[in-house]
Amino acid sequence: MALSKKTLIHMYETMNKIRLFEQKLQEFFAAGEIPGFVHLYLGEEAVATGACAALTDKDMITSTHRGHGHLLAKGGDLKLMMAEIFGRSTGYCKGKGGSMHIADMDLGILGANGIVGGGGPLACGAALAAKYKKTKEVALCFFGDGASNQGTTQEALNMASAWKLPLVFVNENNGYGISCPQCKSMAVTDIADRAAAYDMPGVVVDGNDVLAVNEAVTEAVKRARNGEGPSLIECKTYRWRGHFEGDACTYRCTEELEAWMAKDPIPRFEAKLIESKTLSRKDAEKIKADIAKAVDEAVAFAKESPMPETSALMDDVYA
Amino acid sequence: MSTVAILANPSSGKDIRRLVAHGSVFDNQEKVRMVRRLILGLERSGATRILYMPDGYGIVPRALNAISPSIPVEAVEMPIRNNQTDTSIAAGVMETLGAQCLVVLGGDGTSRAACKGSVAVPLLPLSTGTNNVFPLMGEATVAGLAAGLVATGRLPREDCCYRSCMFDILLDGEVVDLALVDAAVYDDVFLASRAIWQIDKVPQLFLTRCGASSIGLSAIGGQLRSIRPEEPRGLALRLGEGSPVTVTAVIAPGMFADVPVRSITEMAPGEIFCVDVSPGLIAVDGEREVEIPRGSRAAVRLNTQGPLVVDVERTMAAARENGLFVNRHNRKEPA
Repeated sequence: MALSKKTLIHMYETMNKIRLFEQKLQEFFAAGEIPGFVHLYLGEEAVATGACAALTDKDMITSTHRGHGHLLAKGGDLKLMMAEIFGRSTGYCKGKGGSMHIADMDLGILGANGIVGGGGPLACGAALAAKYKKTKEVALCFFGDGASNQGTTQEALNMASAWKLPLVFVNENNGYGISCPQCKSMAVTDIADRAAAYDMPGVVVDGNDVLAVNEAVTEAVKRARNGEGPSLIECKTYRWRGHFEGDACTYRCTEELEAWMAKDPIPRFEAKLIESKTLSRKDAEKIKADIAKAVDEAVAFAKESPMPETSALMDDVYA
Repeated sequence: MSTVAILANPSSGKDIRRLVAHGSVFDNQEKVRMVRRLILGLERSGATRILYMPDGYGIVPRALNAISPSIPVEAVEMPIRNNQTDTSIAAGVMETLGAQCLVVLGGDGTSRAACKGSVAVPLLPLSTGTNNVFPLMGEATVAGLAAGLVATGRLPREDCCYRSCMFDILLDGEVVDLALVDAAVYDDVFLASRAIWQIDKVPQLFLTRCGASSIGLSAIGGQLRSIRPEEPRGLALRLGEGSPVTVTAVIAPGMFADVPVRSITEMAPGEIFCVDVSPGLIAVDGEREVEIPRGSRAAVRLNTQGPLVVDVERTMAAARENGLFVNRHNRKEPA
C-alpha cells in the first residue's frame, strides 16, 4: 500500500475521533441529556474511516441511521454534530433533525438517513449527476446488512450497473438487522455474492481492518472514476452496542460480543503503526488526549447552545 | 470403512482480485452445487462414509437438500471461527478420524490452509475460482469418483497420487508457514487486503512449480522454465529494474504485468534462500500472510514432503485400465 504517513495518522485520528465521540454520546444518552434516538457506531470505526480515506472532499457519501462515523470520517464538524444530536439551534440542522439527518453538502455528505435502504437511490442520483456533468466525482453509499434486503438497495445496485454509474456500495455487515440475525433474514452469508447478479465486482473484506477496507475502496473508487462502473464491497464487522441505545440485546450472547471486541479495530491499527514506526506510543497518547479535549469542547458548545425557538418550527420546511 | 472428507470453504473466491483484476465472483450456491455433484461421485465410487467440515453457510447441508445419498454424510464436531483456521483444524480432525482422502474446495489459499492441518492424507483440491494453480479446475462429479477410488483402495495410491513439493517459510530459523505454489517477498509492512498485484513491490519470488500456461505469480517463472509439481526442485527469482529480461505474465484473471527478471536460480530440496527484506511481508500462494518484523530474518526452503495430491486424470486412467466402470456382458469388445 502506498499510503503516506500523513494519511495513516489521519486514519488513526479519525478512528479515535469516532470512538470518543460515540462513547461521549453513550454517556449523555444514558444520563437523559440527548433527545430522540442514537444508533452508535462503536466497533465499526474501521469501515467509515477506511472508506472515506479513499475519497476526496468533492466525492459524495450517503449514510444511514448509524451515521455518526461516516459523517466524522468525511470531515463532519464535531461541534455542529454534537449540537445537532443535543437538539440545539447551532447544530447542522438547527437542532431539528437530530442524529439521523445530519448533512453537509460542502463536504459531500448527502445526509444520514432514518430510512433503512434510503441511501442507495440518493447515491445513484448523485453518481448520475457526476456522470452527466463529467465532474469525475464518485458517490459512495454506506448501507447495512438489513438495508441490503430492501428493494431500494437492490434497485440502486441494478440501476448503478445498468447505467455504469461512478458509485461504490460499501456494505457494513454487522450481522444483525435490528435484532434479527443475518441467518434468519438472508439465504446468503456474503452480501457480496449478490454483486454477480448485477454484473459488478463484489468483494468481502475484514471490516475491522482499516487498511483492508481502504485498499478495497481505493480500488473501487479508481474503477468508478475511470468510468468502469460500480462495485460492491462487503465489510464484515460488528456493532458493540445494541441497535439503538437502550436496546437490551437479548438476541445475542456475551461470548459473541467479546469475540468481536477482541478484534477491536483501533488497537489492531495502532499496533501496526507503532510496529512500523509510523507512530510512537507517546504520539498515540497525545492524539487521543487532543481528541478527547475536542470532544469535550464539542459537548460544552452543544450544552451552551440554545434550543431552537418555537417560532422557528416551520422554517426550512419545503413540503 | 472408506471415509472421504469434504472441506468446502465458504470464504474463497471473494477477495479484492474481483476489483483489481477480473476474477469471477464465485458464490456459495455454486459451491453447494459442486458439493452435490461431488457427493454423488463419491457415492458411486464405493466410498462408505463422508465427513465434512461445518461452516457458517452450511454448504454440505444445503447440498443434501436436493439429493439423498445412500451413504452417511456427517459433520465433524469442531468450533467454527469463519476463517482460514477452520480448514486447517478440519484437516487435522479428518486425519484423526481416519479419512482416507480430503477433498478441498477453494483456491490456492484454502489448499494451503488444509495442508497446514495435514499433509498425510491424500488431498484432492478442487478450484472454486479462476486464479488458482494448485487445485484442479474440473468437474466435481469426476473428482468425487477419483477421491472415492483412492479412499476405498480400489486403486493403489501410487497409481493415483503424486507427492507435491512445498515451501517452508522460516522466520529466525523457525518454520512459521508454508506455501504450495509461490512465496513472494513483498516490500510493505501492512497485510491489508492480502492479495498482491503490484509486482513492483516484489523483489524476490520463489516457485515450487511453474509452466507456460500458469496463472498468478507462477506465470512469471512459467514463461522462462517449466517445473512439474512433483519435481524436487524450485525456482528463486529476483525481480526489479535493471534487468535484461522482461517477462509478460498473466498475474491474475484478465491482468497482465511486464516483470523485469534480474536472475533465476534453481532451488534444491533443503537449501535455504534468504529473504532480503526486513521489515516486510511474505505472500504465500498469492496472499500477504507472513509479517517479517524489523530485525528478523526470513528465509524460504524447498520441502519435498508436501501433500500427497490425487491426480484425477491419472486416477481415472487407472480406473479405465482396470475396467472399474465397464460392465462386460460377454459380448464383443466395441471397436
